[in-house]
Amino acid sequence: MRAMHRSGPCLPWIRQALLAVAWLALVPAASADDAAAWLDRAANAAQKQNYIGTIAYQHGGRFETSRLVHLNDQGREYEKLVNLDGPAREVIRMNGEVRCYFPDTKVIRVEPRTFRNAFPSLSPQQQAALTDFYTFRMAGRERVAGIETQAWVFEPKDGLRYGHKFWADPTSGLLVKARIFDERNETVEQFAFTEIAIGAKIDREQVNPTWPVTPPDWQVRQSAPEDLKDTGWTVTRPPPGFVKIVDGYRRLRGAREVAHLVYSDGLVAVSVFIEPIGAVAHPFGVSRQGGVNVFVRQQDDNLVTVLGEVPVATVRQIAHSVARR
Amino acid sequence: MREQISRLMDGDLDGAEAEAAFRELKRSEGLDEWTCYHVIGDCLRRNGGPTAGFASRFAARLDSEPTVLGPAVAQRQQPSRLPFAWAVAATVAAVAVVSSVAVSMLDPQPTALAKAREASVIRTAQPKLQAVSPDYLLAHQEYSPTTLIQGVGPYLRAVSAGDGR
Repeated sequence: MRAMHRSGPCLPWIRQALLAVAWLALVPAASADDAAAWLDRAANAAQKQNYIGTIAYQHGGRFETSRLVHLNDQGREYEKLVNLDGPAREVIRMNGEVRCYFPDTKVIRVEPRTFRNAFPSLSPQQQAALTDFYTFRMAGRERVAGIETQAWVFEPKDGLRYGHKFWADPTSGLLVKARIFDERNETVEQFAFTEIAIGAKIDREQVNPTWPVTPPDWQVRQSAPEDLKDTGWTVTRPPPGFVKIVDGYRRLRGAREVAHLVYSDGLVAVSVFIEPIGAVAHPFGVSRQGGVNVFVRQQDDNLVTVLGEVPVATVRQIAHSVARR
Repeated sequence: MREQISRLMDGDLDGAEAEAAFRELKRSEGLDEWTCYHVIGDCLRRNGGPTAGFASRFAARLDSEPTVLGPAVAQRQQPSRLPFAWAVAATVAAVAVVSSVAVSMLDPQPTALAKAREASVIRTAQPKLQAVSPDYLLAHQEYSPTTLIQGVGPYLRAVSAGDGR
């Protein structure tokens, strides 16, 4: 009797707690389908919308601004990015390829763009990984670049990935801000429009390269498309949720043939490059380019370069588990 | 082994790995390596950096009174982890020096030390080198799902980092 009497007053508390748990479980926990559908909408908007704006790129205490124009002209995509600070850089996407212009060194790098052609959407495996390894939830409504955006968060469930927060225009689904954060919730990298006109009228001239004809004294470095074939290399211990999406050879700088494996968890990717070690000095160890961590090591007579939008521990773990199959 | 010692000095090893590296240091070969790295680190940090003609004067004195670069000297040096880590990150070429000099330090020739100092001073005088070639970043970017939802924005990682060469 005494025990029952004691437990009596506890019941409302327990009920409340259970309700709270149920509420927590219901409200923020979006399903894998929701996460994939959300990504699809963002990807679709990035392809279909016409927009022009100024983008701020922030990483490691640095802050750079660029002008970005995107045009979808009857299904054909054109995109132009011009930086506004420091040495001029220009990125042009046209006819399925990406050209990067470096006018100070008179170099143009041409990259065949294969991802959008080869992977228009996520595989079911990748879709599942999204919510197996991230908690996907809706965050608040925040004003970005004059737009009342809806924010979404992918919070990692382990220490092998970064967190991602995205701010989307609720009407079009277009991302106007993207932030990568670490386990201390500190910003690793951020892209944010400071002003943007979505649905603007864009002319072809606005997306044309500044140098439509390659100046005669410029150097064009054309990267060959991936030669997709079994390289015989593998990563024995990829972080959970990372699935191999590419296995092939790549010619870098036009000459070197490099094995290239790509692993992805649906939100980010990690590239593994393996090549015979040459006489050139290599930056062994850890380095970083914005949200991309790089780890370079020597393995026997090979140079292993691992990089991706993941923490240092992840690229290091992958670099130390590269093996011949 | 070389890599383990380098990583130890960068504070990059966990308990078990660090233990193994310390065991390695007890062997004279490992200790040479460790000493060599510290000489390079000191040079990169310019801790009382060598003055003009130092290398030749030092080599000449060593020649006249041959001294073995011994463990006792090495142990008195205090590893200072952060500046070394910074120096390695800032001057990518230092790694090349580490490899080449580490080999030359095993050479009992007394001029090895002078060579090491000279080499690393020359390297630090060069402009800051890019950490990784944009080749890799650009090749990666094509397959990164971030490109799908953010367009060419993330290409800024590759183009803002270097000069395209």
